[in-house]
Formats: sequence, C-alpha cells, structure tokens
Amino acid sequence: MTEFTRRAALGATMGGALALPLAAPALRAQALTKMRVSVIPVLDVAPLHAAIAQNYFAAEGIEVDTSSTAGGATGLPGLVAGQYRVTFSNTVSALLGVREGLDFRFISGAARSLAQPPDTMAILVRKGSGITTGKQLEGKRVASNTRNNIVWLRGMAWIDKTGGDFKRVTTVEVPFPQMADALAGGQIDAGLFSEPFVTSALETHGDKLERIGWIIQETAPSSSIAQYVAMKEDLDKNGEVFERFVRALHRGTDWVNAAAGKPELLQLVANFTRVPLERLQKVAFTAYPKEVTTAEIAEMIATMTKFGLGGRYPAPADLIFRTAKA
Amino acid sequence: MAGGVLAATRGFRPSSGVWLVLGLFLLWEVSARTGMVDSPNWPPLSRVAAALARDTVSGEIPMLVGSTLARMFAGLAAGTMAGIAAGLLFGASTLAQRVLGPTVELIRPIPIPAVIPPLVLFLGLDNGMKITVAAVSAFFPLLTNTAQGLRAVEADQIAMARTFGVPGWRRLFRVTLPAILPYVMAGLRVALALALVTTVVAEMIAGEQGVGHYLVLMQFAGRAEEMYAAVLVLAFLGYALNRGFLWVERRSIAWYFAAGRDG
Repeated sequence: MTEFTRRAALGATMGGALALPLAAPALRAQALTKMRVSVIPVLDVAPLHAAIAQNYFAAEGIEVDTSSTAGGATGLPGLVAGQYRVTFSNTVSALLGVREGLDFRFISGAARSLAQPPDTMAILVRKGSGITTGKQLEGKRVASNTRNNIVWLRGMAWIDKTGGDFKRVTTVEVPFPQMADALAGGQIDAGLFSEPFVTSALETHGDKLERIGWIIQETAPSSSIAQYVAMKEDLDKNGEVFERFVRALHRGTDWVNAAAGKPELLQLVANFTRVPLERLQKVAFTAYPKEVTTAEIAEMIATMTKFGLGGRYPAPADLIFRTAKA
Repeated sequence: MAGGVLAATRGFRPSSGVWLVLGLFLLWEVSARTGMVDSPNWPPLSRVAAALARDTVSGEIPMLVGSTLARMFAGLAAGTMAGIAAGLLFGASTLAQRVLGPTVELIRPIPIPAVIPPLVLFLGLDNGMKITVAAVSAFFPLLTNTAQGLRAVEADQIAMARTFGVPGWRRLFRVTLPAILPYVMAGLRVALALALVTTVVAEMIAGEQGVGHYLVLMQFAGRAEEMYAAVLVLAFLGYALNRGFLWVERRSIAWYFAAGRDG
C-alpha cells in the first residue's frame, strides 16, 4: 500500500468513525430490539400474542421471542438468570420471589378476575359426595396444580370463607391435565381448577363432577391474578425499551378487549394454546387489565400473609414500574 | 424380496414378541372403546393413529423428531468423546482414578432432570442446555465402560505386541482401542437410550422445541390423541435407534461376535 492510499484509508476510517454517532439513531431505529418473553400457554397471555400477530411490537422496534413452558417452572428463575427480559407470572409466585429478595418489578397487568361469575378458577368435587363447603373438606385431599401459587391461595381462601380451616386440609399437587381423572377416580376429594380445565372437566366428566364454588370471584372479585414481570436492574438501565414493549403490549390488550367473544380472539387463543376451538367457545375468560394497582398488590400480600406466606414485603408502590401505573 | 418375505414370516412366528405388542394395542383400543377405562385422557389407539398420521403428513411431527434427534446426537457425540477420553485416563492412571473417582461417583447417580433448573441458570433454555443434558447423560456410561474395558484388555495381547516391538502409540491404536471397543459399544448403547430420554425431558421442562415440548403442550391443551401420538413416536424412535445401533454394532465389531462372545 502506498503512502497516499494508506493516508486515504486512514482518512476514510476516521471519517467513518466520526460519522457513525450521527448515523446511529437512524440505524437504531431500523434494528429491532430482541426481547425474549417467558409465557405459559394459557388464555391470560392473549394480549401478548395479539400484539405479536398485529405487528404492534415491530412498530415499536421490538422483536418478541416467546418461550412457552407449560406450568411455567422456568419463567421466574429464567428471568433472574437473564434468559428472559420479561416473564408472565401469577402474582403469588412473583411476590414470593420479592419476599426472598429478588428484584422483580411489575411492568404491566395481565389478568384479573371478573366481578361477576363466571370465574376462571373453580373448585370441583365428585357428584354425590355431599361436599359443598370448606368445612366438609377438613381432613380431605384437595388438589392444586402447584402449592403456594394463585390457584392454591384462592382455593385456601375459599375453604376459609366457607367455614374450613385450610391447615386441616391436605393439599396434593396434581397437574391440571390429570386433575379431572384423579377426582373422578377418587384419588382426591376436590380439585382447584383453572380454565380451560374447568370447562373441559365439566364437559368430559359432567356425569361425575360438579362445581361447588368460584374460588376467586367468591373470595376476592376483581382481584389480581397475573402480571408481566421484569428485573429492576434491567428496568433502571433500559426503561425506554420497556416503555416501548408495554406500549405495544397494551395495544394488544386493547385488541383483545375489543375482540372479546369474537371468533378472531378464539382463533388467536387456539393458535397458541392448541386448545380445540369448540372448547374455547365455552371457556370463561379473565379481564385483561393494563395497570397494576397498589390496592391489588396490598390485598394479595394481606391474603398471602393470612395463609402462611407472610414475610417482609416492600411497599406495593415500590414494586410497580411506571409503565404499569394507571 | 424373497428374503424379506421370509424374514417377515419369521417375524410372525407364534412365539414372536410382535404378537404381544399387537395384543397390547388391541387391548388399548378395546379398553377405550368399551369404556373399561372411561376417561377422555384414554382415547382409542385408532384415533391416536389418525392424529399421528395427520401431524406426520402435515410435516409437524417429522420436523419435531428431526430437531429432537439433532440435539440428542450432538449431545451423544460430545458425551461419548468426553466419556471415552476420561475413561482412558481412569483406566490408565490409578492416580487419576484416585483423585477424580469420588467426584465422578458422587455426580453419576444424580438424576439429570433434577439438575435442569440450575443448568437453565448457566446455559439458558435453548440448544446449549439441552445438548449438555444429553452429553452429561451419555458421558458416564462411556466413562465407566471404557475404564473397565481398558483394565480388562488381556495382558497377553499387550505383551505380545511389545515382544514384536510395536511402538506405544501403535499399540494403543492397533491393540488396546480395538480390544476395548466392545466395552465402548456396550456403554454407547446405554448412553443412546439415556440421551433420548433426557433430551425429551429437557424439552418438556423448558423452551419451545422438539417432541418433548409438543407432548406437554398437547397435554395442557387437552388433546390426548396428539399427546399419545408423541408418546408412540418416542416409543418407535427408541426402538428404531436401538435396532439401528445393533446393526452398526454387529458390523463394527464383527470379530468380537465371530469369536462367540455375545453370550
């Protein structure tokens, strides 16, 4: 390389280096920010899938990659490990993490129970068992998909409200898909079901099983079920990215609320849950809130404390990121 | 062609194990149709077969099987190489066995599914974690069998090679390694089955990949036919892999079987 060309090359490099910061905003606008989100294949995450399908995330410069794990066992650990930027989680599991010192923050509401029946969670027993209250479940086996989650907590609250002592009830963990068989077969005396398993259990075992209560609606109507959660450190550093994420997500929430009961919503849910369309037509849906309120978190912490999940929790307001505030 | 017909006839002798399999399939169909097992989670085999055929034709199942097998074989290859290398070290060096032995014996009995959550922490949820899980499962059978094989190489063989002035490295490749190959193959057969099981379990726990994820997704969607279709696919896959392995084994260490040492 001659002296001339070397100098020209150096000049070009310098020029490029100087021009790069000027070009950066334009480049950034073009490149999509990739965000991996942990979800569960349940009705509650319909707004996220709607936002993906309607290209709302792309419009905000975000590419969402969902990782769906039935049961959600890896959602919150994966968030802590940095495998996910956002995790869909039920409120109880997220708050238990907070109690253990993990810096989870709620960035958006996801699911809330309705004020009136139908509810997305129910307690079912065998027909003819004569069980109608929590008092009658003392000394009996009650199944929950997981101990110490939202289903378990509201189930225990229902037992308490109907005269039972939750400490005298034996809770056994049975996955939702096997719960109806276990109940019909007599291995358990009651099951705490969540949709779409409530509908499918009554549809397939309707001659053997019956619903005796709506566990959320009867204990805490319009209460918290699930949120989208992120890590505080990530939010502190990249708050603007999460603002864009939540803006797109909330457009998805608007889409779902506008499509409530319509075939396009059922088709969207059928696509990601693989639940047959004809069953989804009978399933109860939750309310899809955008915000997270201090009142709903305070109620949840109070209920958790009552049922043995107490501890040192921060003030609810400190757990809600600005994108989830009303 | 005639040989094939002959083989097929031989396969359906009254004493053939195929009859038991067919009998169990028939029991499955009858139990579901007649209400002996009355649950939507126990669909007739014919409906499972229909779901299997539909998802196979649509290309979904072949794609899932391909991705599961790719992860399994990647893990198996890595675990096999590491297991053989470690096994040679263990077999050749008493010091290595003394120093590393307790650690290996402590880790070996741990069920792999139990360590998947911490593996997620370090390796994520994608191929890296799943391939590692398959590799770790394959590692230990290869290690123990290789070490055992090395110790069992007949001293006479080594002594003879030495007498004939065969240099050390050539002794390794011409005498020792061929002699331990039957042991390695036995380890590999165990590793193959383990790698398939653990890959599928890892897929069931995390991520959206492979037959394992499909199985759980269908279970939670209440689609029992598709779920059992995945179970059948895994059964056939395990069977085919084992048969394929035996075929390769018969050819790669034919001398061993020719010597009548397969029992």
